[in-house]
Amino acid sequence: MGLLTDPSVGHGALTSIFVRHHNRFCILMYIASVVLFCMLAHDSFSSQTYFSENALLPGLVKGQLNDNTGSSFKDHYRELKAEAQYFETETPHSYLISKFKNLRLETYSHNFTLNYPLKKNTKYTGRNVYGILRAPRSASIESIVLSIPYRAPSSVFPNTLPGLAVMFQIAQFFRQQMYWAKDIIFLVTEHEQLGMQAWLEAYHGTCCGSPGVLDSGKLSGRAGAIQAAINLEIHSEKIDHIDIKLSGLNGQLPNLDLVNLAHRLCNKESVRHTFNNVDGGAIGRNKVNTYYTNLSTMLSMVMTQATGVPDGNHGLFHRFGIEAITLEGYEKKGRGIYVSVLQVGRVIEGMFRSLNNLLERFHQSFFFYLLPSTDRYVSIGLYMPCLVLLVGALFLKAFSTWIQHSSEHKLGDSLSKQATISEHLNVGVVSLITLGTHVLGLILLPNFAPAYFTYFWDHISTHRALLMGYGLLSFIIVCIMPILMKKCLNSFKVSNWVLLHVICLLELGIGLLCVSMHNFSLGYLTALVYVLPAIFTSSSQNKIGVKFLWLLVHPMCSLIWITAIITYMAYPELQIVDYLTKVIEASGQWMALSTVDNLVYGNWAFSISVLLLLPVWTSFWCLMFLPTNLPQKYKTE
Amino acid sequence: MYDKFLWIFLAFTGYVRSESYSEELFIKPLATGYVYSFFQFTIVREDNAFRHSSLFPHSLGDIINRFHVDELNVDLTSGLWRHKSWGYPAVDAPSGAEISARFHNDTIDVNKNWYGLTNALSGLLCTSLNFINSANSYESSADRVYRYSNLPRENVCTENLTPWKKLLPCDSTRGLSSLLNSGHVHNANYHSLGIHFRPLCNAGKCKYELRQTVSLVYDSTFISLNNNYDWSLRKMFGTGLFKTCPLADFSKLYIDTSSNSSVPYLLSQEPDYFLKDNIAVYNLISIFHLSAVVPRPKIAVSELRPLLYTDRFITGFGQEYGGLVTRIYNEHRLPVTAKVIENIPWFLPIYYHTLIVSSNGVRVNPKALIYKPGKGRIRIYYLEIVLELAPRSVTEISVQFDYVFLKWQEYPPDANHGFYIGSAIVEVTIPRHATSLTFDKSFIADNLNSSEADYLICLKTENFIITLPTPDFSMPYNVICLACTVVALAFGPIHNITTKRLKLTTAKYVPGLASILQKLYMWVENIALSKKINKVGNSAAVKVYAPEELSYHPTLGHVSEEFMNNQVYISYTKKWPLLKH
Repeated sequence: MGLLTDPSVGHGALTSIFVRHHNRFCILMYIASVVLFCMLAHDSFSSQTYFSENALLPGLVKGQLNDNTGSSFKDHYRELKAEAQYFETETPHSYLISKFKNLRLETYSHNFTLNYPLKKNTKYTGRNVYGILRAPRSASIESIVLSIPYRAPSSVFPNTLPGLAVMFQIAQFFRQQMYWAKDIIFLVTEHEQLGMQAWLEAYHGTCCGSPGVLDSGKLSGRAGAIQAAINLEIHSEKIDHIDIKLSGLNGQLPNLDLVNLAHRLCNKESVRHTFNNVDGGAIGRNKVNTYYTNLSTMLSMVMTQATGVPDGNHGLFHRFGIEAITLEGYEKKGRGIYVSVLQVGRVIEGMFRSLNNLLERFHQSFFFYLLPSTDRYVSIGLYMPCLVLLVGALFLKAFSTWIQHSSEHKLGDSLSKQATISEHLNVGVVSLITLGTHVLGLILLPNFAPAYFTYFWDHISTHRALLMGYGLLSFIIVCIMPILMKKCLNSFKVSNWVLLHVICLLELGIGLLCVSMHNFSLGYLTALVYVLPAIFTSSSQNKIGVKFLWLLVHPMCSLIWITAIITYMAYPELQIVDYLTKVIEASGQWMALSTVDNLVYGNWAFSISVLLLLPVWTSFWCLMFLPTNLPQKYKTE
Repeated sequence: MYDKFLWIFLAFTGYVRSESYSEELFIKPLATGYVYSFFQFTIVREDNAFRHSSLFPHSLGDIINRFHVDELNVDLTSGLWRHKSWGYPAVDAPSGAEISARFHNDTIDVNKNWYGLTNALSGLLCTSLNFINSANSYESSADRVYRYSNLPRENVCTENLTPWKKLLPCDSTRGLSSLLNSGHVHNANYHSLGIHFRPLCNAGKCKYELRQTVSLVYDSTFISLNNNYDWSLRKMFGTGLFKTCPLADFSKLYIDTSSNSSVPYLLSQEPDYFLKDNIAVYNLISIFHLSAVVPRPKIAVSELRPLLYTDRFITGFGQEYGGLVTRIYNEHRLPVTAKVIENIPWFLPIYYHTLIVSSNGVRVNPKALIYKPGKGRIRIYYLEIVLELAPRSVTEISVQFDYVFLKWQEYPPDANHGFYIGSAIVEVTIPRHATSLTFDKSFIADNLNSSEADYLICLKTENFIITLPTPDFSMPYNVICLACTVVALAFGPIHNITTKRLKLTTAKYVPGLASILQKLYMWVENIALSKKINKVGNSAAVKVYAPEELSYHPTLGHVSEEFMNNQVYISYTKKWPLLKH
C-alpha cells in the first residue's frame, strides 16, 4: 500500500517514463509473453526428461508376461466377446465377478446412483466390479490400481474389451508372483467417468461435487492408500500405438516420473508410444519441423488442460493425491507392423513392478509442467514468466493509472482545496458496483441458477434452457447497465473513475494468477483473451471501439465464438444456417456439461467464469458507462 | 556307580515333574485355497519363582520374575489376517509387533516395570520393542496394572524367529520346531510368532502356562505345483518330520477335515483317531510325512463370512480434513455386545465432538464410553466404546481428525512413505458353538472337548498409513550446499581484505627457465609482429597498453604509476599473444 499512497512515488525519471508510455509497455509485454510462450516449445527452453525417483528402477527386470501359462489372451478375449455380445447395452457383472473369483482375487462389486441435478426425480444407477490381489506378507496398507472403463457394444466410444482381456491375463500372471509388496486392485468401471468418480468417492468416503448429487454408495473391500493408478483403454488386438494421456480434472497433472516411466517402458518393449498422438524424438525431422511439431503438441496439451475436463478416467484420481495416467491403444488399420497386446501387457507389468518398488509415494520430480514432446518437458519456472508478463501488464496499467490520477489530483488540490479524497474517488458508488457484480456472480453459480432455469423452462431440453437463461440474463445486464449508470448516477459525476478501474484491473490480474497456479493453461488462455481489451480501457471517456471490443469478450460471447471456431475446424463443410444452429447448440451443451461436471465432479471451470470473469467484466462494463465530466483544468484552459 | 547316577537323574526328573511340555500342530485348509497351520508349544509349570527350571526358558523366566509380570502376550506378525475369508485365527494379532502385559497387583511403579520389560524383551527377541514409551502405550481403563502397545511399523523377519526358537526346550533340532525353517516361514502369506504367558488359577491353586505359537498361512498357488489346492508338510515347510522332541509329553498333529463335505480331499496317511468326527489326529512318534490332495473346486468358493468381522479405513483426501471409520459387521442372528478400543497416536488429534456411532445408518448411543484425550508427544488418544451390535447389522464408528505439523526430527526415515496407524481392538464374547474352533485352553484337544458356553474373540483391525504434511527434506541439504559454496567463495577475499594490508612494492623479477623461454618466445614474436605491423602500416594495436590508460588496476583500484609499470610489464608479457589473435 505504501507504493500506492506514498506521494513521493511517481516522480522518478523511470516511473514517469513508465507512466507516460504505459500502454506501449503493456502491449510490448503482451507481445513478449506470446513470443516467449511460443519459444517454450524450442529445445533450448525445454529439457530432456529424467527420473527423479530412483526407487522406480524402470526396466531393470525382463518382462515375463507370456501366453504359455494358464489361459491365453485369445481365450480370455473370445470368452469376453461372446459375453459382451450377449449383453448389448449392459455390463456383464456376474460374468466379471465370477471371472475375478476364478482368478482367485478378492472380488467385490459397488453400486452407485446419480440423482441428475438438472432434472427432478431422474436417477441413473451403475455398478462397478473390482478384484483385489492381496500381496503376500503385506498388511494391505498400500495399493496400485489398474482400471478399465467397460463399454458395452452399443456405446458410442471405441470398445475396451481387448484391454479387459489383457487385464485378465495380467491378473492371472500377477496372481502367480510372490514379489508383490503392494496390493493390486483390478477395477472395471461402468458409465465412463461417473463410475470411476463414484468408486473413488466411496473408497475415500467423501463427496467431491454437490452433496446429494452422486450417491457413491459403500465399499466393503479396501486396500489401504492407493499409490498410483493406470487406466487402460485398448481398442484392438492389433495396436498401432499407445497414447499416454495425462490431463486430469481441473488441469491437474500426474507426477512426471510416472509419465516418464510409461514412455520409458514402452520404449523398452518397442511399443510405439505417443503424447497427444504425436511421436516423440526428432528422428527424420529437421529442426524447423521439430519445432513446429513440438509447438503443436504443446498447444494441444494446453488446450486439453485448459478445459479442466479429464481426457480419461485417470484424471479423477489426481484430486485424491493418486498419480494416474491412461494408456490408450489405438487400432492398427490396414497392414504393416503392429504392436501386440502381449507387448502392451509387458509394459504394464513393467510399470507395476516399478511401482511396486516405490518406498515412498510420488513426491519427487514435477507436478507442474508442459510437454512439447514425449521426452521433453518445460518446467514451471519457464512457463510461469509468460503469464507473469501478461498479469504484469495489468498491474502496470493499474499502477500508472493510479500515479497519473494522484499527480492530477495534487494539481486539482492546489486549484480547489475543498475536494476530499473520498469525494474524488466515490468510494461508496465503487464499492456498491463491485459488491453488486460479485453478488450477481454468486447467484449464477451452478449450484443455484441452473436448477431454476431448467425448472422454469421445463418443456425444452436442458442445454437450451441453460443457454437461454444465462444468455437472457447477460443480455439484460449488458443493456440495463449503461442506462442505469447514465440515469441514476448522474449526480456522482467526477472527472474519472480511477478507483473502480484500478480495482477491476487488480482483481483480474490476481484472479488470473490464482487460476494459473492450479491450471496454467486455463489461466494463460483466459489472460490472452482478457488482458488486451482490459489494457485498452481507461478510467474515463472510453471510446466506442473499446466498448465494442469489451462486449466481444463477454464470457457468453467468448463461449460462443470459441465454440464457433472449434465447430468450423471440425465441420468446415457446413452451410451457414446449419453452422450457426450447430454453434448455438454446442454452446448450450457445453454449458450443460460444464454445470453437471461442476455438480458431480467438482470441476471449477464454470465457477471461475461466473465468479471471476463475469463480475470483472460487468465492473468494467459499468466503468465504461459511468458519467464523467471533463477535468477542471481542461475546462479552465 | 550307574545306580547313583540313576538316583540323581530320578531325583532331578522328579523335581522337574512340576513342568510339562507338549508340541501340537494344527492344520486347517481355508477357503479359496489357503492352508492355515498353527504350531503350539506349551509348557505348564507349578510355580512362578523361576529359581530353577529345566524346560521353561530361563531367559524369559528371569524377565518375568524381575519385572513382576503376571501375564504377558507378545506377537510379531507380518501380513494381515483376513477374517472375512479365513475366519478366526487361534491367536489374533495385528500386523507388526504387539505386546501386552499384566503386572502383579502389588506393583508400585507399573510404568517403570513396563518399560523395563519391553526393553528386556526387545533384546531377547531382536525387536524394536524398546521404542515403546508413553506416547504409544496405554493402560486399560479398568486395570491399573495392565499395559498395551503395538508397533505397526515393525518388520518381522528371521532375526526374530531365531531367538524365538531358542526359547524352546528342543530348540529347532528336534520336534515340530524343526519344521520352522526361516526360508519357508517367511515365504508364507501371513506369519505370526507369539509368546503367551499366563497364570491358570483354579480354586486358589495356580499353574503357569507358557505357549509359544506360530501361525502360518500358505497360498496353494505357491506351494502346489499343479492347479489344485494340494499341500504337504514338505511343500509348506521344506521338510518332513524326522525326530520328535523327547522332552515333550506328547506331539500331535490335528487336521481339520470339516471342509471335506464340500471339497473332498485325500490324506496320504490314515489318522490315528478322529476328534469330534472331523478333526483327524496323528500321534507323532517317529519319522512322519503327510500330504493332502485337494482338487480345486469347479465353482469359485465364495467368502466364508464369519460371525463378526471388521473393516477400518480413513476418509477424506488432501491434508485438510480426515476421518477414521471403523465398521463392525454382525452376521449373527442375535445381538452381540462388543467392546471397541481405539488407540490413536498423538499426531492424529481426534475431535471427540465428531464421534458418531451408527448402526445400519441410524445413530445409536453406546452402552459405555471412555475417552482419554491425548497429549502431544506424551499420550495417545484412547477411546473405549461398549456397544450392543444389533443382529445382522453394520455398526460404524467414525471420528474426525486433524493432520498436524511435526517437528522436523520427528519424521521417520522415508518420511513420504507415511505414518503407520495401529489397529483397533474389538473384543466380543460369542457363543462357543458359533465358531468351529476355539483356542483358549492350554492344549488344542482340550478346546474341542470344552463344555463352556462362551468364547472371547479379540479382533484386530487392519493398520493403515497416512501422509502428514511432509517437508522437502532434500531442501535443507540444497540450502547447506549453496550456503557453503557462497561462504567458501566469500571467505577468501574477505579474509584477505581484513587480515592483510596492501603495500606497494616493486616486483622483484627472478627469471626462471620457463619465463626465460617465454620471454624468448615473446621477443621472437614481437620481432615478427613488428615486422608484420610495419608491413601493414598499422601501429594502433600497441597503443592498447599505454600506461596512462592502465593506471586503474581492476582489483586494487588506482595505484601509482611505478607499480603499474611493473604490472604492465607482466600483463604485457602474458596477455600479448592472446590479444594478438
